[in-house]
This record gives sequence, structure tokens and C-alpha cells, in this order.
Amino acid sequence: MRRARWALGLALLAAALIAVGQVSATTKASGAAQAGTIKIGISLPLTGRFSEPGTDAMKGYKIWASLVNKSGGLLKKKIVLDIKDDASDQATIVSDYNRLISEDHVDLLLGTFSSFLNLPASSVAEKNRMVFVAPAGGSPALFARHYHYYFFSQQATAPHQGDLFSAWVKSLKPGKRPQSIAYPTLNDPFTQPVIEGIRAKMEALGIKTAFSKVYPTDTTDFDTIAQQIKSSGADAVVHGATFQDGVGLIRSMIKLGYNPRLMFQTTAPTEAADYAKAIGLQNTNGVMYAVSYASKAKGKRFPMNQQFVKAYKKAYNAPIPTEDAADAFAAAQVLQAAVTKVGKLDQDKMANWLHSHVAHTILGPLSWDSDGAPREAFFLAQWQRGKPQILAPRYIATTKKVIYPKPAWH
Amino acid sequence: MTDFIQVLVLGLLAGGLYALAASGLTLVFGVMNVINVAHGALLVLGAYLTWLFWRRTGADPLLLILVTTPVMFALGWVGYKLFVQRVRGAPAMSVLLTFSLALVIQGILGEIWSNDFRTVITSYSNHSFTIGSIVLPKERVFACAIAIVILGLLWLMLTRTWLGRAIRASAENPQGAALIGIELGSVAALTFAIGVATTGAGGSLISFSSFFPSTHYLWISRLLGIIVLGGMGSLSGAFVGALLMGVAEAMVAKYVPNGLAWVTAVPYMVIFVVLLVRPRGIFGAWTREDVATV
Repeated sequence: MRRARWALGLALLAAALIAVGQVSATTKASGAAQAGTIKIGISLPLTGRFSEPGTDAMKGYKIWASLVNKSGGLLKKKIVLDIKDDASDQATIVSDYNRLISEDHVDLLLGTFSSFLNLPASSVAEKNRMVFVAPAGGSPALFARHYHYYFFSQQATAPHQGDLFSAWVKSLKPGKRPQSIAYPTLNDPFTQPVIEGIRAKMEALGIKTAFSKVYPTDTTDFDTIAQQIKSSGADAVVHGATFQDGVGLIRSMIKLGYNPRLMFQTTAPTEAADYAKAIGLQNTNGVMYAVSYASKAKGKRFPMNQQFVKAYKKAYNAPIPTEDAADAFAAAQVLQAAVTKVGKLDQDKMANWLHSHVAHTILGPLSWDSDGAPREAFFLAQWQRGKPQILAPRYIATTKKVIYPKPAWH
Repeated sequence: MTDFIQVLVLGLLAGGLYALAASGLTLVFGVMNVINVAHGALLVLGAYLTWLFWRRTGADPLLLILVTTPVMFALGWVGYKLFVQRVRGAPAMSVLLTFSLALVIQGILGEIWSNDFRTVITSYSNHSFTIGSIVLPKERVFACAIAIVILGLLWLMLTRTWLGRAIRASAENPQGAALIGIELGSVAALTFAIGVATTGAGGSLISFSSFFPSTHYLWISRLLGIIVLGGMGSLSGAFVGALLMGVAEAMVAKYVPNGLAWVTAVPYMVIFVVLLVRPRGIFGAWTREDVATV
């Protein structure tokens, strides 16, 4: 018994010494950060249901930091990323950003992935009056709070992500437009506003809504949904999807022999290799989607894009960067622009600059309204003969040809 | 009308598969008074094993039933010896124990294969049979047909073999069964292993549709709904309950406003209604006697 007490005492002593050592190490690191480096705090969903975009975003941030450091750093200081894993959990992300600010004493913040996590995270940044540039988070709920320090660094908020698609449908002669559209939508803060935005514009054109239903995130049976769409008589489908439900519904449409003349999906078709593999390369032909990033983009309008593509290929042995990695890279470029133009780490001045200027990124030029909502448009893309092509806007289009009506499934 | 028949057919095809998935759960409850809440997790584990073998070998999931069933049988046997035999005859404790096992299985699956959706895709995945204007997806038809064949074999085993008679005797009258020389412990272990083996076959058949670790919550709620509806412990009750559940889900999805969002609530509604109106389920026999007369 006495031995056990001694052992317990020693264990407690050892734990106390380790804790003291860690506090001392943290203090030293923090001191070093203030001297010659700029420390940027980020919490990402590296595990849990958003782990894929979270991990991709981390790659984008890391490549940005490495490229900027190679070219002399930010304000001539080396960038150090302080990345935490929020496990896709809203409570954890709040605690992470609080710790980054009050314990790790980071100089700057960058945002996380999905509206779901940026909603609570941006409140922490706003309370601490720190600029918070988010690579994903276009849900209207994020802008309804009129935050001053929040900026969404893609081209458009969710309700406007399908604007170029809607404009393309409008450009068709009335007789060539689809007559009725089905709108199956995943219950998600991102997909629903996208589809509602498109639907409002289609109904304004007089195109009938044949089917409009929201399905839960854990749906695994898509045959029932495809059957309902088929029986609705819709000749076009505008699908608010993420990856798995996107390919699931297409597979069910193929099974049930339902061939819409026009097919638009959110998110799923952007995951090029996996999408083609999941539904079959031939079946991708003619599917339309909105996308924020084009790996082939180059020139002044898309600064650093080709450097990013090259570095990404080298670091991760992948043919092209994912859209999520590119979005994170662009978010960091927005923050970089604000810091560089202001010339110091003044959060108020940085926020004011972003509200009144254009930042140039690999996604193209971005600018924001007073709520941090972007004012540009997503690219309209289409799968054509096994390859993703950009249809609009013209300055980045990779083809003038549009495949319509969509060929039948194979 | 065509629409209604199409929905009905899709519901019945799903129901056939549900019946196989529910058979092991009802068998284990009927014989051992154990409510195996881990049954859904084991089903999803069966689907993951199928997906794993399919990805490595390209073998058809229907053929892989011959692999997953014995693997899950062995796992069931070991699981019984290590954990379940301690709670035999104690339904409340069995719920706690097997719920914790379900969480452990979910955690392990997530750790190994992440939380991404998985699906097995075969050469006939995108094809259907057509009767008039009614479409029958091939994978659903095959899955339902094989589920019914396996259920038939299970029924034959329970009614025509010595082991089946021993299982039924143990359920009906444990003391009497012991007196005539039936080793109750071994029969219970075998019953549990057979119950878990059905999740191997069932897992292979559900691998055609998307699954991920936490899908087991959907499955266990659905399966509990089925066996409460059919009568807990009754194999034939589970069969009828499963068909009704499949049709109910399809009808709710189609005809209830915003029905797609209500589909996952159907099993819970079924449990509520059955417990209020007819607590013993449709087949209405006392559960342990019921298994003895399958």
C-alpha cells in the first residue's frame, strides 16, 4: 500500500514537471512568434464527417504558407500555421478558436470548412474583432448577422451559385428550354439555398416545378427518389447534392431508365476522378455544375494559380488540386492581400480594406459587401466527353460548345 | 395506378431484404431473451467485409455471401463466449451490453475505413428488369430472392434438423430441454452465432446501397420496428413485418408531404403504434412459444 502511494506521488510529480515544461515551451514559442514570425490560427475538420474537405483545405493552406515563405514571407516575416482539429464538431471549434486567440496568441486567423462550422467559429473571431476569411461558408445564415470581420472567399453566396446556369437556361429560346424541372435537395445549409436560388429564377421564366423534395443527410435509398422524379414527368433535374447522394441519385436514375434532357448538380461533379469512377465516365457527359476553381486558369486575373498547381502536384502527387484545397489557398491570399495593403497587422484596417477593395486570388478577383458576402459569380461547367469544361464566364471558358440535350445514360 | 404498383414493388423488394436482416435479431431474442442492439452494427460490418473482399478480388457480392456468412458466424460464436453469455436471459442488461458493442464496432469501422459512404458496384448495378411499365432494379431483385432462399433454409434448419429442434426446445422449455440432454449453453452459443451469421449474408446484400459506420442506427431502429410489429421472437412474424415495413417506408416517401424526411421516422412510429394497440405484434403469440412453432 505504501509502495502504491509512493508510486502515485511520483506519477503526480512527473505529470506536474511535464506540465511545467509544456507551459515553458509554449511561452517560448509564443515569444519567438512575436519576434520574427507571423502565426496564423486555424481549426479544421481533419476528422469526422467533414474530414475530406478539411484535409484538402489544410493542404491548400500549407502550400500557400510554403510559397509565401519561399518568396520572403508576409511583411518580411515567416508564416507559421497553428492548425487544430475540431473533429467536425461545433463545440470543439469554438473552443479551438478561443484557445488559438487567448492561449496560442496567434496574430491572424483563417476560416474552416462548411457553413455548419464557420457559423460558430466566426462568432468567436467577431467577438475578438479579428478578420476571419472563410474558404467555405456561403449559407445566407452567415451574412444575416451583419458581421464586420467575416469574409467568404469564394465568388458568390449559396443563393447565387447557380446564377450563370440560370442565365444560360434563360438564353435558350423558350421552345428549347426544359418544360418542367425536378429539384431533389439534400437537407444541408449549403445545397438548399443554391437550389432555391435557381428554382426562383426558373419559375420566373415560366418553367414548371414538377418535383421539389428535401431528403435527409443519412438517405441511402435513392431508387425511391428517382422513381418519384420519373413519375413527376420532369424533363430536367436540378439536384442540390454533395458527393455521395449526387452519385447515388444518378445511379438510381440510370437503373430506373429515367433520362432527363438537362442535369445540373451541386458539388458532386467537381470531384472529378471519383465522380467519373462512381457513375461511369460515359454517364458524366452533359452534366452541368457550378464550380469556384479552374486549375487551368492563368494570367493576372488568377495570380499564383500555376505555382499553386505545380506545388500541389509535387507535394501530394495528384494530377490537379481539389477545389477545396484551392478555396483554402484563395482564402489565405485574401488575408495576405489585406495584410500587405494595410502594411501591418491592424485587424480593423484590414477589415475596412477588404470591404472597399478587390482581392486577386487563384479563384479570380473577389470583392465583398458590408456583410462579407462576395459579389462575383461561380463558373458554369459541364462534363464533355470525359473531361470537365468551363462554359462561362467567357474570360475563363474552355469551350464554346454546350452539350444539350444531355445524351441518354449508358 | 402504375405509380402505386411501382412504389409497392420497390417496397416489397426492400422488405424481402429487411426480413433476412431481421431474422437473426428475432431468433436470438426468441431463444435467449437477448435484445441484440449490435445487430445493426454487425450488419454494417458484414457490408464492409463484402466491400473489402469485392475491392480486393472483384468478386460478386452475391457470391461473397459464402465468405461473409461463416466469418460472421465465427465472430458471433466468439462474441457470445466473451460477452453475451453473461447477460443471457436478462433483456435490460443485454441492451446495455450490446449497445456498447455497437458503439465499439462503429468506432472501429470509422477508424479503419473513415466515415465515407461506401457502395459495391457490379455489372448489373445500373440495370433493371421491366414488366410493362414497372421497373425492377436487378440488384434489388437478386438481393430479395437470395434473402428469401436463405430464410427458407433457416426455416428448414429450425424445423427439420436436430439442431433446430434443440433450439426450439431450449426456447420453449429450457429445463425440459436440459433434462433430455440438450446442452443449453452450446445451443445458446450456436443460436447467437447463427443469428450473427445472418448479418454476414444480409451485409453482403445491403452492400449494393450506400453505407457508412453510423448507418447501423438506421438499421437497428428499422429491425426493432420489424420484430415488434411481427411479434418479438417470431421468424414468420419478422418476415411479414419486414414486408410491411418496406412498403410503409416506400409509401411514406411517395405519398406523405415532405415524406422523404419522414422515412427514417417510420420504424419509431410503428413501434409506438404496435405497443399501444397490440403489444405482442401482429402474430400475437407469446414470444418464446412463438419461436417453437415457426
